[in-house]
Amino acid sequence: MMSFFGLLIGIVTLFIIGLGFPLVIQGERRFSYLCWPYMMGIGFVIIIVSLSISINWLAVVTGVVGATFVWGSTELKEQAVRAEIGWYPFNNRKVLLPFAKIIEKWKAPHL
Amino acid sequence: MINLLGLIAAITAFFSIWFGHVAVRKIESISPTIWIPSTIFIILGIACEWISLKAFSLQIATIFGILGITLLFDSFELSRQQRRIMKGHAPANSDNPRHAKILKEYPAATTMDLLKREPMGLSLAIPDDSRVMKK
Repeated sequence: MMSFFGLLIGIVTLFIIGLGFPLVIQGERRFSYLCWPYMMGIGFVIIIVSLSISINWLAVVTGVVGATFVWGSTELKEQAVRAEIGWYPFNNRKVLLPFAKIIEKWKAPHL
Repeated sequence: MINLLGLIAAITAFFSIWFGHVAVRKIESISPTIWIPSTIFIILGIACEWISLKAFSLQIATIFGILGITLLFDSFELSRQQRRIMKGHAPANSDNPRHAKILKEYPAATTMDLLKREPMGLSLAIPDDSRVMKK
């Protein structure tokens, strides 16, 4: 007997990962790469929320959305460099989120 | 009651994206052809999806379902990575004959990794109108 659960979840995962690209581009453009701890934190919160969801497919989708946020947070620094060298539009009027000056002293994650 | 399926999916998605990201860059850089690694990724991806279809537990189906799709996407990413090399958006490996050919044929191609630095917070792009010499 075949179960299409994994295949369907895989396809949905591909679309969710695809949404991670505009998330990183817009996140960096609007809030600078210094929003990475916020994006990572949101990702971990979403993953923790998935633990309390009893509907299997919804728990999986929620977990993958959380993982996409965590992954996106590690891509923000490189995206900032891409915008600076002109591969993406550069916004010089970014909104800095609270504690940006402190976050600037931390090493931004990159994998 | 805690449902671990979301956490399993999150861990699988994160590590398969990470593996794919690093593997595509490395393999594209050293491989003399694109089609051989692409074919291997496709075979592995289909194998993972097959395991997922036949799996008795949702956990195994989830892990292999996500892993399989990311491997299939990585086969496509190998070609996209080559296009990045052509545009100079990723460093070419001059020891790779395929990349050496790209370096000769595409003026934008470079061996420098332009992304390997810290952000400075200012635009370093040259405005289009300043590229034309004014009379």
